[in-house]
Amino acid sequence: MNASLGAVLALGSGYLLLLFLCALAVERGWIPTRIARHPVVYTLALGTYASAWAIYGSLELASRAGYGYLAYYLGVAGAFLLAPVLLVPIQRMTRTYQLASLADLFAFRFRSRWVGTLITLVSLLAVLPLLALQVQTLGDTIHLLTGSASPALLALAFCALIALFAILFGARHTRLHARHDTLLAAIALESLVKLVAMLALGGFALFVVFNGPGDLQAWLDGPGRLAQAHVNHLDPAQWRTLLLLFFAAAFLMPHMFHITFAETLSRRTLLQAAWALPLFLLLMALPVPLILWAAQRLGVDAAGLGSAYLAYGLSESLWLQGVVFIAGLAATSGTMIIISLALSGMILNHLVLVAHPPVDQPDLYHWLRWLRRALIGAVIFAGWLFYRLVGVNHDLTTLGLAAFIGMAQCLPGMLALLYWPGANRKGMVSGLTAGVLVWLAGSWVPLLTDFPAQVLLPPGLEALAGQPDWYVVTIVSLAANILTFILVSLLTPTSDGERAAAEACSVDAVIRPKRLPLVAGNGEEFKYHLARALGEEVAGREVDRALTDLGLSPLDGRPYALRRLRDRIQANLSGLMGPSVAQDIVDRHLPYRRGGLEPTDDIHFVESRLEAYRTRLTGLARELDGLRRYHRRILTRLPVGLCAFGVDDELLMWNDALAELTGIDGASVVGSRRDSLPPPWNDLLGRMFLEHHDHLYKQPVVLDGRPRYLSLHKAELTADEDIRGGTVVLVEDHSEMKWLEDELVHAARLASIGQLAAGVAHEIGNPVTGISSLAQNLRYDTDDPEVLETATQIQQLTDRISRIVESLVGFAHGGRHVAGQAFASVSLAEVTDEALHLIHLARSGEDIHYRNRCPEGLEIEGDAQRLLQVMVNLLGNARDASVPGGEVVVDAGRQGAWLHVTVTDQGHGIAEHVRDHLFEPFTTTKPPGEGTGLGLPLVYSIIAEHGGQIDIDSPPPGQAQGTRINLWLPLNTEHGDPTDEPDPDR
Amino acid sequence: MYVYRIMLFLVFGGYLLSPLLMSGWASPEIAWYRPFVVWGVLIALTLWLEQKRKLDER
Repeated sequence: MNASLGAVLALGSGYLLLLFLCALAVERGWIPTRIARHPVVYTLALGTYASAWAIYGSLELASRAGYGYLAYYLGVAGAFLLAPVLLVPIQRMTRTYQLASLADLFAFRFRSRWVGTLITLVSLLAVLPLLALQVQTLGDTIHLLTGSASPALLALAFCALIALFAILFGARHTRLHARHDTLLAAIALESLVKLVAMLALGGFALFVVFNGPGDLQAWLDGPGRLAQAHVNHLDPAQWRTLLLLFFAAAFLMPHMFHITFAETLSRRTLLQAAWALPLFLLLMALPVPLILWAAQRLGVDAAGLGSAYLAYGLSESLWLQGVVFIAGLAATSGTMIIISLALSGMILNHLVLVAHPPVDQPDLYHWLRWLRRALIGAVIFAGWLFYRLVGVNHDLTTLGLAAFIGMAQCLPGMLALLYWPGANRKGMVSGLTAGVLVWLAGSWVPLLTDFPAQVLLPPGLEALAGQPDWYVVTIVSLAANILTFILVSLLTPTSDGERAAAEACSVDAVIRPKRLPLVAGNGEEFKYHLARALGEEVAGREVDRALTDLGLSPLDGRPYALRRLRDRIQANLSGLMGPSVAQDIVDRHLPYRRGGLEPTDDIHFVESRLEAYRTRLTGLARELDGLRRYHRRILTRLPVGLCAFGVDDELLMWNDALAELTGIDGASVVGSRRDSLPPPWNDLLGRMFLEHHDHLYKQPVVLDGRPRYLSLHKAELTADEDIRGGTVVLVEDHSEMKWLEDELVHAARLASIGQLAAGVAHEIGNPVTGISSLAQNLRYDTDDPEVLETATQIQQLTDRISRIVESLVGFAHGGRHVAGQAFASVSLAEVTDEALHLIHLARSGEDIHYRNRCPEGLEIEGDAQRLLQVMVNLLGNARDASVPGGEVVVDAGRQGAWLHVTVTDQGHGIAEHVRDHLFEPFTTTKPPGEGTGLGLPLVYSIIAEHGGQIDIDSPPPGQAQGTRINLWLPLNTEHGDPTDEPDPDR
Repeated sequence: MYVYRIMLFLVFGGYLLSPLLMSGWASPEIAWYRPFVVWGVLIALTLWLEQKRKLDER
């Protein structure tokens, strides 16, 4: 090769600069978010799986094992085809509990920080050969292109640039679970570059070296057949084992776990990757055999170049060699960046923070950020060191397989985590240790030393003797791992914490968290308690963040809300410093209150989880869930208020009718304790619970300023082994019924008054008739004008008494005009004069001035006596309301077909709330004993008999105070049927 | 959810039968692109199942 060192360095640096520019463009918003966050970007970022192995290692494997190289692609494609049953459940867990790495997930499931530490150590040991493989391809290609004597140092320079990029764009956020749009976009660009480069190389091989597909097939059928004869095809068992290794790598390798779960956009995007990533890998795999066959046709010296680097021999063109170099650099840098980010997070959370908990750090976020940056650099440097000390002595396939076999040791644990709730920590650790020991002895130690693989074949596996080392190590290590795992799990007890975590992780489990009260009473108290571990600033920020995530108020004291807040804080801290430390901090500083009632299941939470996972249910579970939803809907939509409480008095249900009645949304009170419900519900429901009876009838409460009458009925739900206990309360609004009852009582009173009046009329009628007769006799017995006048007045008054008694009887019998009595022309001025005359008889109100302004000759058809009763009542009321020296004016005038009569005083007026009820019986503003509350209803009744209307202005227009009674009486003889309605505004 | 079972069946069936395919591909009588065509069909099938899953979960 004849490329200059400067040109290669410039090409490599230029490419990495392009990567920086891409990340910068996304960060600065030069590239629209809709593009940066497009699902295609995410799928391309997943292409980070195609590391230097895909560019060089695959060629090496294809030259040895033919189509066996496809295992690298098909294994991971198979894992993504199973995304809905394999990857989506893992994604759900990592998102719910903010788990950013495999170690986080295992530590969470097996409830031990040491499990996290063990997984981190295994990952570190397994990934080192893979990192070394990446660096080795860099060093080898630089050496191939330039003939440089110190490719390792040049590779170190590239490693430094890659580390710088990872630190700048990957470690900006303290949280591992934070999305890095810039990083994703840059990794996607890398995948695009290597895909285009590989397709270009494949195209060159197919159309330049060969003359198209026909020529290639002809070569394969002819001269090429000899070249293929050297290929050692994998036997079925080895092929399946390779597939299994790469299948496991799809979600166990730290970089794949990081991109797939820590950077995931959404479940939808992950499901889309189920077919999009296999398509990407197909396009990456397609050019590999083409390049190999083209190199074989050209007679490229595989022994000199190394079979991994045959692509460099396709042409002497620097352009083509540059394309190969860029493809390799893109694959290498992408993989190294993500591995360093993922591994640095695992080391930080499970080694550094476990050994040195971040208690009392003055600036926790800053400290974590810089620690992580240092670890990124350290991981990449460790990869380079491993290459320098170990990798140079081995080929790519050996290094890669050592890494994949190591990570595959976590596969039994991962499958148990998803599908075997019975697995426990002791089993997992024992199995993993057994498998890892076999792997170390069979793969890792031989990498470091010249010792051959040391694997003891157990009885039953003697057939493996003579098989390739990688195959023997894989089978024996996984067999030891799985058997030990199962046996120890079955033989040892499982802790409660593990069992709860197993349920949370298990695919088919319905999580049943317990309702335990917390010591802290609200968000502010959370801050106070957490400040002891995190410092005031960090504690405040973390609690506020969790409150914002959940949409809760800092003063929300509902036990349900506080439990969710605690879970969220633990999840957020887990993203910051790993699940082990997070759980430790939360358990210590936000403890549950012990004692009291036996904790019960958090039904509300279980239901909300069931709602979220509805689409995952099948068969009987789906039918049952449908039934549950139907019954829940019945209760929710029940047209009667319903609420349910647990045995610890926590509110579990608040249905729609109750929400409408109370004006309190169910979401804001479900999870509250009964005594913390807003008034009057806390008192009312408390009374219900204290009562020995199951019913409380017509309890008066004030809702929205209005009196309401509610009836409550309760039923105790007795708990037993399978059924949760509690109390259900029905709340019925009986206000309207109460009002109807009150009206009935009024009606009964009126009826009794009617009966009384009939008796009074009978009893008073006889003496009054006697008085009237005596007055008549007096008229005959004297000529004295004064006595005659007195006798006349006595007769008039006795007549009036008789008519009043008759009217009272009439009112009591429905307030109707006495049937058969004909209307006659009545002069309004005369009626008013007579009324004023009668009013003057009374001793009170002598200093009130009355004005009768009714024009003479203004007549209507009506009952003079009853109209007189109207005027007496109205004038009497006006007099009673007036202050001494006040004036009462009666006025009248025509308004179209109506006679408008007004009685206006300057008194104290009528209050607004009384005005609407003035015409109802027994409504009075007078002191007790002075008014019966029957006057105005009588007036209303008489005016209605005359076909008129009545209303009240208080105060009258143009007056500061006082009252005006407006009467409209029809002028035409056909009373009660006026041609148009009276206009009060005129 | 029933779609997932088809995928499970497909992947594990493919895993068990893949050595048969491998020995077929190694045969010189088979066109060189045959494995990639089979792979492409599998991807198309997954895409189709993904569409079905969306309808199933709607």
